[in-house]
Amino acid sequence: MATAPEILAGLRRQLAERFPTAPRAAARTLRTGLAAIDDAAGGLPLGAITEVVCATPSCGGHLLLGQLLGVTRATRTRVALVDATDSFDPCSFPVDLLAHLVWVRCPTATLSAKVSAMAGALSATDLLARDANLGLVVLDVRHAVERELRRTPASFWYRLQRAVEPADLALVVITPRTAVPSAQLRFILNASHSVDALGTGRPALTATLAPALQRQRVAPAAVA
Amino acid sequence: MRPPPWPKALGLFRGSSLAPLTLILVFAVLHIADFALHAVLRNEPDVARRPAALFTGAAKKSLVLATNPAARAAGVEPGMTAPQAVARCPALVIRTAQPAAEIEARAALLAVGFTFSPSIEATAPGICTIDLKGSGAACPERSRRAVAELARLGLPATAGLARTPLLALYAARATASVLLVADEENFLHPLPLAAADPPAELAAVFAAWGLRTLGDLTALPRDEIVRRFGAAGLALWQRAAGGDTRPLHPVVPPQTFAAAMEFEDGIATLEPLLFILRRCLDRLTLELLASQLVAAELELTLRLADDTAHARSFRLPEPTADPEILFRALHTHLESLQTAASISAVQLRLVPTRPLVRQQGLFETGLRDPHGFAETLARLSALVGSDRIGTPQPEDTHRPDAVKLRPPAAVIPPPAPPPMHPSLGPPLRRFRPPLPARLEFSGGEPAYLWTENFHGALATRRGPWPSDGDWWQRDRAWARTEWDIALADDGGLYRLLLVDDAYFIEGEYD
Repeated sequence: MATAPEILAGLRRQLAERFPTAPRAAARTLRTGLAAIDDAAGGLPLGAITEVVCATPSCGGHLLLGQLLGVTRATRTRVALVDATDSFDPCSFPVDLLAHLVWVRCPTATLSAKVSAMAGALSATDLLARDANLGLVVLDVRHAVERELRRTPASFWYRLQRAVEPADLALVVITPRTAVPSAQLRFILNASHSVDALGTGRPALTATLAPALQRQRVAPAAVA
Repeated sequence: MRPPPWPKALGLFRGSSLAPLTLILVFAVLHIADFALHAVLRNEPDVARRPAALFTGAAKKSLVLATNPAARAAGVEPGMTAPQAVARCPALVIRTAQPAAEIEARAALLAVGFTFSPSIEATAPGICTIDLKGSGAACPERSRRAVAELARLGLPATAGLARTPLLALYAARATASVLLVADEENFLHPLPLAAADPPAELAAVFAAWGLRTLGDLTALPRDEIVRRFGAAGLALWQRAAGGDTRPLHPVVPPQTFAAAMEFEDGIATLEPLLFILRRCLDRLTLELLASQLVAAELELTLRLADDTAHARSFRLPEPTADPEILFRALHTHLESLQTAASISAVQLRLVPTRPLVRQQGLFETGLRDPHGFAETLARLSALVGSDRIGTPQPEDTHRPDAVKLRPPAAVIPPPAPPPMHPSLGPPLRRFRPPLPARLEFSGGEPAYLWTENFHGALATRRGPWPSDGDWWQRDRAWARTEWDIALADDGGLYRLLLVDDAYFIEGEYD
C-alpha cells in the first residue's frame, strides 16, 4: 500500500508528463536585511506571496514594512502599499524613505465603506501584481474587519498567486492571523514591543525583529 | 449620380508585382465613392452592412442621393423618393448628410494622404490627389496600404496612379482597389464619355453623333471640335485625352490635432462612444505620424444633453503616437465614468510634442512600462478615488497626519544620506478616524481603557505631551494632548489622545 507522499509524488509526476511546462528560472529573492528572514528563507521570494502574520498588537508589522521600504529605497525599486484600512502613517517615516512608494489608501469613512474597502484592496492588489514596474507590493489587511477577511475566498489568493508568478515582484500580505492559503512563505510576529521600545532608535529596534518562519514552500535560491 | 458602369480597362498593369514601372508616375488619387454616405455610415458599424441610403433631407419628399451596395442590391437607386425607396427595401436605413461627420472623414482621408507625400490636394469631397514626385517606385504597394488604412477607418476607397491627376482619378474611379495606368491610350479609349463630365448640351450633341466613349471623341480632330464648340469643346476634348499635369493646391498639414463629433440622438452607453473615439484617435495619430510628432497629452470633452460638459485631461507618462495606448487611457477613464445625461457631442484633442529620443542610462531606474503604469494608476484611481493614490509627501506643518499625495515620480531619485538622528520607537499604525475611547480612573489616575475594538488595564502611561497650532486661524486651529500607553493584557502600545475633553486612541505603535 503506497503512502500518501508516494501517491502525491506519483500524481505530480503524471501531471508533469502530461502537461509539460517551460523550465522556470531558479527562484529569486529580495533580501530584507533582517537576519531572521534572510537566513531562514534567503529573503522574500519574487513571483510568490509571503504572508506576515501579526499575531499580537505592537509586534512590529510596520517596523518590518519600514525595513522593506529602506532596502527597496536603496536599490530604487518601486513599491506599492495597498492600505486596506488606511492605517499607514507616512509621518512616522523619513520623507526620503517614501520617494519610491505608491500608497493606495482604501477609504474607511464608515463601517459599510470599510467592508467594501476590503474588496477594493484585493482588487487593487490584483491590478498591482500584474504591473511590470513594481518590485514589491505590500497588502496590509492587519486591521481589516474579521468577517471580511474570512469572507475572502481561498480562490482569490490562488488567483493572486498565479498573477504574481510570472512577475518579477515580491508580494507581501500583512494579516492579523493566517489567512493566505497560497502563501509560499509565512512568518509570524508574535512578540509585542516593550514600553522601552518607544525610546529606542529605529535601527536598533528593527534589528530585534524576529519573525518566526511558519511555512516555506519555495527553496531559498539566488538573490535579486 | 453614380457614373455608369465602365468597361474593363485594357492594357493595364494591376499591382506592383506586374508593373514594370517604365513610365513616370507623378500623381495618385485616393477616391471614396458616395463620400457623404460613407462619412455617416463609418460611425455606425451596425448599420454599415444593412441597406442604407443618404437622402436630401428628412422630409417625405426628399430624394435618394447615394446608396450603399446592400441598398443597390435591393433596387434602391439615386433619385427615388423616400416612399419609393422604402417600398423597394423596407429595411432601408435612412440617413441625411452630417457636415461634422464629413469633416471628420475628410480629415481621415487627408491624414492617409499625408502618409504618402507632404504635397496633397483636397480636390473634391472624397477625392485626394497626391503628388508622387520623389516617392520612389513602391507607390502601388503604398497605395494598397493606404486603401487598407482607409478601410480600417471605415472609408471604402480606391486608388489610381497615373501621369496626370485627371488620369489618376479616372483610374481610381474605374477600379475596385488599386489601378496603375501604364498604357494611357488603351485605358482611356473604352471609358464612357460621361467619365469626362461633358456639359449637358455637348453630351446631347455627341450622343446624337453616336459618340459613346472617350476614344470616340479623341478620334475626332481637336481643331474641328474647337471650331464647332469653342472653349467648352476644347476643355472636354482635353479631359477625354487624360488632361495635363498641373500644380496641385496643396493642403497645409494640420497644426492642431483635434477631432469633434456630434450625435443626433445622444450616446448613453460606453461602446458607441469608444467606437467613435477610436476612429478619431486612429485619424489623429496618423496626422501626428505624418508630422513626425507624438502626443504628450490627451484632452477629452464630453458635452451632455443637459448642457453641461465633462472635461478631462490625460497627461501621458511617455509621449506616444500609438493609438492603442492612447485609446487605453481613454477606455480606462470612461469605464468608470457616469454622466447625468446622455452625450451629445465629443471633442478630443492631442497636445503634440517632439518624440523623445535618448538612450536609457545603465543605472537609470525609470519605469519599464510607463504606459502600463499609467493605466494601472488610472484603474486604481477608478477603484479607490484619484485623491487616494500616490506618493505620500508630509506637509510642512506640525498639524498631525498632514500628508498630501503626489503623482509617483517617473524616475526614482537616488537615496539621500541616512538621517543624522534616526527616528525613535516603532512607527504608528493609525486608526482613521481615531477610535473613541473611555477611561476608567482609580485614585485619580487612569486605570482601564475601553474602545470598540479592544480594552484592557493600563500597565504604563507616558506623557502628557500637549501641542497646538494654527491658532491664528479660527477655522484651522487645533490643540491636543497625547500619552503613550501600554495595555497590561495584550501588551499593545498605543497613543492616547485628548481633544476637547474627549479621549481617543490615535494609533498603535507597530
